[in-house]
Amino acid sequence: MVEREPVPITGTHAVSALGRGVDAQLHAVLRAAPAFRPVRRFDTTGRRVTVAATLPDVDTLTDELTDAVDVACRAAGLGRAERAEAALFLATHGGPSTLPGGGPPVPALAGRLADRCGLGEHTRVYTSACVSASTAVADAAALIRRGDRERVVVAAGYLVEPDQFALFDAGRALATDGAVRPFSAGRQGLLLGDGVAAVVLESPDSARRRDAPPVATLHGWGRAGDAYHPCQPDPAGRGLARAVGAALRRADLDAAAVGYVNANATGTVFSDAAEAAALRLALGDQAARVPVSSTKSVHGHALEASGLLELVVTVLALRHGKLPVNAGWLGPDEACPLDVVTGAPRPAGRYALSLNAAFGGANTALLVGAP
Amino acid sequence: MLAEAYWPEPGDGPPPPLPGFVHSPFAPLVAAVAGRCLRRRTPPPGSRCAVVLVSAAGDRPSADHVRATVDAGGRVGPLFFFQSVPNSVAGHVAARWGLDGPVVCLSPTGNPRADAVAEAELLLYDGDADAALLVLVEHAPDGAPTGAVAVLLGEGTSP
Repeated sequence: MVEREPVPITGTHAVSALGRGVDAQLHAVLRAAPAFRPVRRFDTTGRRVTVAATLPDVDTLTDELTDAVDVACRAAGLGRAERAEAALFLATHGGPSTLPGGGPPVPALAGRLADRCGLGEHTRVYTSACVSASTAVADAAALIRRGDRERVVVAAGYLVEPDQFALFDAGRALATDGAVRPFSAGRQGLLLGDGVAAVVLESPDSARRRDAPPVATLHGWGRAGDAYHPCQPDPAGRGLARAVGAALRRADLDAAAVGYVNANATGTVFSDAAEAAALRLALGDQAARVPVSSTKSVHGHALEASGLLELVVTVLALRHGKLPVNAGWLGPDEACPLDVVTGAPRPAGRYALSLNAAFGGANTALLVGAP
Repeated sequence: MLAEAYWPEPGDGPPPPLPGFVHSPFAPLVAAVAGRCLRRRTPPPGSRCAVVLVSAAGDRPSADHVRATVDAGGRVGPLFFFQSVPNSVAGHVAARWGLDGPVVCLSPTGNPRADAVAEAELLLYDGDADAALLVLVEHAPDGAPTGAVAVLLGEGTSP
């Protein structure tokens, strides 16, 4: 029989320029203190923009991912036997490593990570740009609900490196004023940021058998495409709206139940406006009332890892009962008629959406609830 | 399986250039094999068709060009920004053929076709797609794309 219960998240871990561990993420997003600084990790001479949100003394991506998976598994209380029964879904960039000591390229990286962490089941590697991690979470939940797997560890990692930095700079995607201002008037673009995260999802029966208290529960998820353009979002937001609608249907919730949206909003003029249109399409009048912010405004855009870092931050905010502030706010933009959280954190409701969108018109929505 | 296509098939040369994508055969190859498959059979009307692109090395020629340019202290061309991830050409195929299901790119950890089919079957089971276009890119040992297979799957068909 197919389980319809929400999928428990029993362990989380995250690292970003905000710090190491979930407490560091929570405290920093609630302070709304952006972590953007001049890049010291590699030479940015000749680039239009020279800042990003990088963590000092970062290890190799392989080692950071290993540590993230290990900490998340320990947080979930997984012993050797439970780890051996877990699948690993990894979200990361598909190209060759460009940082010194960066380790093997995918998919060998996934095998090494599984071996190091004692994860004995199936591995899958997602290279779907900025929806890689959120797609992996949705797929993991679907596999668990279908009964294929008791437990999936989703890991994701991006460390700011010279090649993607140069590409985003050449594409004029980076904010020349050194700030990310999602949905705000005067926004100029995105800034990159480190992100390494891991979460443990498992079946409700498995979590109950282990007496593992959920950190949060995944109630719904949705994935949909724009069929609009290779790299520009549909300005009407139709694909993202369908992803949100699918997440609500799976959760059996209506729009009024959504108490917060951690938006994809990168601080880019046209894509933030497209996301606002998607929210109006998916949530109707409720779109103007639900509190919205984008935590990319403090930790930056972690590309393939962004969906997992933002899911962890959203879960933390729900558990703590406070919603992150949208940093960098200068004032409203009529193209984004949303209730953006500015000034100070607000009280959290029970359910939240974490949204992501990527080149290719790929969109995802994850709907989480406090346990 | 609703349709299948290869590039190359007998008589094929290199895939035709794809406007907006430069330097590498990766994106032209994906677009050519996807188009050939979809001309043989289109997804059922009204169906949400996913695009699942499976490639071990991605667009390695472009990545190598970017690596060399950055290493030499140069500036990369802006078009490389868009083609630095496989999603972009998957999105081109989706837009060209009106495929509005999920867009998913994978790097295979086992048999590429098995990985692609497993992903497609999950999307169909889960209800976010009614059909799926799978595109599998083959690579030489140095990562250069050498050929591709496209498979169109629909509900109730077997791979």
